[in-house]
Amino acid sequence: MPKITIQTTVNGRSVSKDVDPSLRLLDFLREELYLTGAKEGCGAGECGTCSVFVDGVLMKSCLMPAGKAQGTTIETVEGLAERNRLTVLQQAFHKTGASQCGYCIPGMVMAATSCLRGNPHASLDEIKEHLGGNICRCTGYSKIFEAVELARDVLNGSVPATALQEDAFKDSFLGANVRRLDAPSKVTGALKYAGDMTMPGMLHLQVLRSPHAHARIVSLDTSEAERMPGVEAVVTSADVPGVDGYGVFIHDQPVLARGKVRFVGDAVAAIAAETVAQARDALEKIKVVYEELPAVFDAEEAMKPGAPLVHEGNTDNICQHIPIRKGNIEDGFAKADVILEETFRTQRVEHAYLEPEAGLAYVEPDGTVTIHSPSQNITHHRHMLAHILAMPINKVRMIMSPVGGGFGGKEDMIYQGILALAAIKSRRPVRYVFTREESILVSAKRHPFVMRLRMGLTKDGRITATHMHSISDGGAYALSTPGVMRKHCILGAGPYEIDNVRIDAYGIYTNNTPSGAFRTFGAMQSLFATESMMDMAAEKLGLDPFEIRRINAMRDGAVTHTQQKLGSVSMLQVLDTLEKGSRWQPGVPNGRGATRDDLGGPGTRAPCTLGVRLRDTSDVAAE
Amino acid sequence: MLRCDDYYLPATLDEAFDLIERFPGEHRIIAGGTDLLPWAREGRAGDVHIPVLIDISRVAEMRGQKAQDGRIRLGANTTFAEFLKDPFLKRHLPVMAHAAIWFADDQLRAAATLAGNLVNGSPAGDGIPPMVAMEGSVVLESRKDGKRHTRTVPVADFIQGPGKTLLEPGELMTAIECDDMEGWGSAFEKVGHRRSLVISTCCVAALVKVDWATRRFADVRLAIGAVGPVPCRAKELEQSLIGQPVTAETIRSLSDRTAGFVRSRSRQEYRRKVLASFVERALGDALDELGIAPVSQPVHGEERLHA
Ligand SMILES: Cc1cc2nc3c(=O)[nH]c(=O)nc-3n(C[C@H](O)[C@H](O)[C@H](O)COP(=O)(O)OP(=O)(O)OC[C@H]3O[C@@H](n4cnc5c(N)ncnc54)[C@H](O)[C@@H]3O)c2cc1C
Repeated sequence: MPKITIQTTVNGRSVSKDVDPSLRLLDFLREELYLTGAKEGCGAGECGTCSVFVDGVLMKSCLMPAGKAQGTTIETVEGLAERNRLTVLQQAFHKTGASQCGYCIPGMVMAATSCLRGNPHASLDEIKEHLGGNICRCTGYSKIFEAVELARDVLNGSVPATALQEDAFKDSFLGANVRRLDAPSKVTGALKYAGDMTMPGMLHLQVLRSPHAHARIVSLDTSEAERMPGVEAVVTSADVPGVDGYGVFIHDQPVLARGKVRFVGDAVAAIAAETVAQARDALEKIKVVYEELPAVFDAEEAMKPGAPLVHEGNTDNICQHIPIRKGNIEDGFAKADVILEETFRTQRVEHAYLEPEAGLAYVEPDGTVTIHSPSQNITHHRHMLAHILAMPINKVRMIMSPVGGGFGGKEDMIYQGILALAAIKSRRPVRYVFTREESILVSAKRHPFVMRLRMGLTKDGRITATHMHSISDGGAYALSTPGVMRKHCILGAGPYEIDNVRIDAYGIYTNNTPSGAFRTFGAMQSLFATESMMDMAAEKLGLDPFEIRRINAMRDGAVTHTQQKLGSVSMLQVLDTLEKGSRWQPGVPNGRGATRDDLGGPGTRAPCTLGVRLRDTSDVAAE
Repeated sequence: MLRCDDYYLPATLDEAFDLIERFPGEHRIIAGGTDLLPWAREGRAGDVHIPVLIDISRVAEMRGQKAQDGRIRLGANTTFAEFLKDPFLKRHLPVMAHAAIWFADDQLRAAATLAGNLVNGSPAGDGIPPMVAMEGSVVLESRKDGKRHTRTVPVADFIQGPGKTLLEPGELMTAIECDDMEGWGSAFEKVGHRRSLVISTCCVAALVKVDWATRRFADVRLAIGAVGPVPCRAKELEQSLIGQPVTAETIRSLSDRTAGFVRSRSRQEYRRKVLASFVERALGDALDELGIAPVSQPVHGEERLHA
């Protein structure tokens, strides 16, 4: 392989290395120098997890060929602070709780450092502008801005350094501002996520994925790929020794496609090779003959008789139907003065955690298969994998690496099985790191729903009946669909006293990307419908939206629609707090004309503006 | 994944041409790399193998900027960051600072060049409308049989269509030239899904010069991007303002004449609406930079303007 020599100074140390000219600066730092503080969140310059200083200027190292580093001076997050100490900015991040999953944090710290080095008095607007190239999915940025402002004030002397110390607290942690134990490892870039881990002799895995939404695999020939340089193992479904299938509730997903593919991105075969590039080259030599099958991309279409069957062996495409019945809705609607009816739709959503899926697997001397991955469900994964590998459970070890954002999206065992098979077959440690594109292509999405909701109310705002009929696209495999349908129904009618409730949720198989767990697990969708309907009902009945909710709110001792007796119910307190906090202007929403008084003002966040720097023209004048 | 077998950093133009001659058909020029690297990813070009990358970012002759004969000459290695920071550039090309603040983010701007933006020729390239407005032209150089050839092409001709330019194989863009806009008021409007790191859905560059004695538009430059296959100059709109009094009405009168510029097939209605108000706002902001506010008075109110 051709090499180029890179000579640079990295964190004060001069470095000279012969490397693959295809490396980017990010790869050079991570793979050659083991400086894994800079991360690869997207590989396309969009997210800022890879930010480093090059000759004092902050750059995105994923867009910089390593060749460009020739003769430069590089500073990474590891170089900011002396060993076992934190910079003021890092301490401020620690203090304010600015690091949650932590994956964006090294980049954030770098961007904030760059901002304050440039202007020790940067205003909040300017701070926001300088952090514009760095994305965080956990914090909503508030804590991060708070940290940068705190650091700025300590650095420019307007606030004493003691402000960086942990707040004092007495007997209870509740309500106290307690610092995260793992924050120092995050703000310094020391924490190792799965993709940051390496082992001697480690191979790199890449996966061949289906270009078709629904197709039969007529033949799969890996012989040429096996002979490609660097290839140590090729795995297919034929390598599964045990009972193939996983899923959070229904084990309907094979580790690698078995006879057919069900969505674009379905894993077909995998290759472990000495380098990622070799594994990718070898993937191209796998010969798959597909016979395309009619596919179905719409949940309602998929429910019709004669629709293409996503899982043969089933009689229809219904993955899960959850019905809830309480009282008698016909009676309820008969008592209503008004009946509202509406169809609500929600879309698929990608979790977009900053850390793409990654894992490292190896076989220990006693035969134990060990997998490090940011799995949100290690115990269940372990059980499933033991069945798949036909191994006793004590020979399967799942280690949860730090999760660089999950939000439900890392509950599914979509790659750990492949890693295990590759490690067993190659007898070497194997690492697999998704690209951002791959993560978006194959990871589960929030369930899209179509919800037809009928609600009956009396003139004074009391709900007499609720009837919701929901259909959701669960995609090609079940993943969390059964649970999501259940939660959708259980919480769907809202925290309201309603005598007559009927809810049906259908999770449907289609040839789309699988839907899975995502914060609120299906409840947000049904509550979007119910709460929207509450506002519409308020308008219709001439009531204040808070009032109509108070009229119907569950109170202490209420029994939920699924017959769970509740002790205390805080619904009324929540409403009061919200009303006060939002400075709500009372009245019917559609009765106050075009303007309202409760938007903007203190406590609301102004939109970001650009160009604060341009308004300061002192340097032009000085020229 | 972008793969190469060798990576060169020529220090002079001659070294660069040596490499171009040594690896005909096997090389690719790289400047900031901010278009090239993301292009070689899944969903776009996928894995790409280019035997030799010739990185021109250290070519001495392609650095720096200077003023000559009412024109500004920008070395091809001028990055978007320089437009924000460099006092000379801020004074002579004020609109570029406004365009730069909307361009990507701090970190991308430190690498991304205006030349790369022009060669990439994206319909949404934010550097293009200002350059078209400022009568920009590109200097293209090549070397044959040891002799240098130079040609200068207006930016408006250079970019032929999405991703299509007049750049010939073996040719380098060594400089960009445009009018010296010192003393003009300028503005750049842009909208996309978010503020940072976003591709324009619609953008407008505006430059104005005011006759202070009469309070009329002395000269106007207006260019529109991201709503058609190539960014373009709105000469008819410029003409209809020149000589007119600086009033809100004059400016607003352009709003219903902008719809024709929207030729993109997607989000047409949105783009038409935004464009109409962007033209109005850009002119207002450009005037604001000169410290003049368009007064909302009909033409006969002119005397009051003088007062
Ligand atoms: C995250 C992100 C955000 C972005 N945001 C924006 C944005 O807001 N607005 C916008 O307009 N663009 C944006 N871009 C696109 C890109 O950054 C710009 O087009 C940039 O100006 C390209 O310049 P470069 O120097 O990086 O070009 P490169 O990628 O190095 O080169 C681009 C092309 O030009 C050729 N080339 C470069 N220089 C020369 C030369 N001197 N002579 C001959 N050929 C040459 C190269 O061979 C290549 O084909 C963004 C890109 C990313 C990744």
